[in-house]
Amino acid sequence: MAPLLSTPDFPIWLNLLTAVLIGIGFGFALEQAGFSSSRKLTGMFYGYDTTVLKVFFTAAIVALIGAQFLSYFGLIDLHRVFVNYYYVLPAIIGGIIMGVGFVMGGFCPGTGFSALAIGKIDALFYLLGGLLGAWIFAEVYPSISEFANSGFKGPAKINEWLGISPAIFSMIIIMMAIAMFWLAEKAEKKFARPDITNEL
Amino acid sequence: MNIRVILSICLLTLSVILVFLPLNQNRKDQPTPFQQLELLSEKEQGVSVDLAARYMNENDSTIQFIDIRTPAEFLECNIPGSINIPYEELLNKEWQGYLNQTAKINILYANGVIKSNLALVLLNGKGYTNNDVLKGGMNEWFTTVMNEEEFIGERLTARENSIFENRRKARMLFTEINNAPDSLKNTFLKAKIIEESKLDGGCE
Repeated sequence: MAPLLSTPDFPIWLNLLTAVLIGIGFGFALEQAGFSSSRKLTGMFYGYDTTVLKVFFTAAIVALIGAQFLSYFGLIDLHRVFVNYYYVLPAIIGGIIMGVGFVMGGFCPGTGFSALAIGKIDALFYLLGGLLGAWIFAEVYPSISEFANSGFKGPAKINEWLGISPAIFSMIIIMMAIAMFWLAEKAEKKFARPDITNEL
Repeated sequence: MNIRVILSICLLTLSVILVFLPLNQNRKDQPTPFQQLELLSEKEQGVSVDLAARYMNENDSTIQFIDIRTPAEFLECNIPGSINIPYEELLNKEWQGYLNQTAKINILYANGVIKSNLALVLLNGKGYTNNDVLKGGMNEWFTTVMNEEEFIGERLTARENSIFENRRKARMLFTEINNAPDSLKNTFLKAKIIEESKLDGGCE
């Protein structure tokens, strides 16, 4: 359970049990926000339903502030939190591929599982397609490995790149988030489609 | 006010509070002083005399020898390439640049073992991590490296040969530099300090 409670040595089964419980909580949160419906998810792309933006951005902000408060109280060591490595061009290409798949399929991997849990058959095929994509990537990897590892910038953080403290950066992010939620409300009125968001 | 406005105001207030809080307030995984002392007694401290001789022969730039004896003893004989920081002056400001850095490993040595280990405990207490001691001090150096031993036996293994060559070269270097007249030694030392301070750059 590092970076939280770093000193005691927890047995492996306790760490895995915590992971299972957190996963159950995550799936519950997705399902009760309505993200098992591919209409809600692609609504973010076409503009008529911006629930995804609001839910995920709010979760990110709460995690951001929560982590920094916990670091202040000494419960988390923020230096031990893993930051993903940033590869410039491969991240862009990967994002494009992921985005195309998201809109075409109407799910992303996490919501695909929560939709499968409520019995949607198209979620099953979406996940099988995801596995196929992973297999293709593994087969093709030797020839693209050079490109896939280019542009390595290490664990880059925006606030370090800009040179401002994490707390001020959180404040900027929160103000940006509130502005984006307000814009999202306006977009919903503009791109509204008749009666589509009331069905699941 | 609807729930969204309340939520936004709450989050904004929390982030404003965060701006005025210091980050990294309590590092619970940093050892207490008692734990630090325990850690010290567990670790294998000490660079062997042969290893130090190799560092000296190859003029290893990641190692810095520090002599913690008095200046008079230092001038009499010292390991070439070492600087002199008398034991009493270890915590003075002018020497912190040599002691508090992570680029070079400092090897502290004195005549015997006690003073160098005391110095190591002192520096570890201040949080400087890149320090080590010479096992046995200068006494061990003289009995092991400077002692011309006779070879007994029929065949020389490669390992014994390399140790022998190492010590022979160290002996030559040591006697050559330490037999130079005092003025030459002083200028050699001053030149070294000046050269290193030039590499630092910036204001005094």
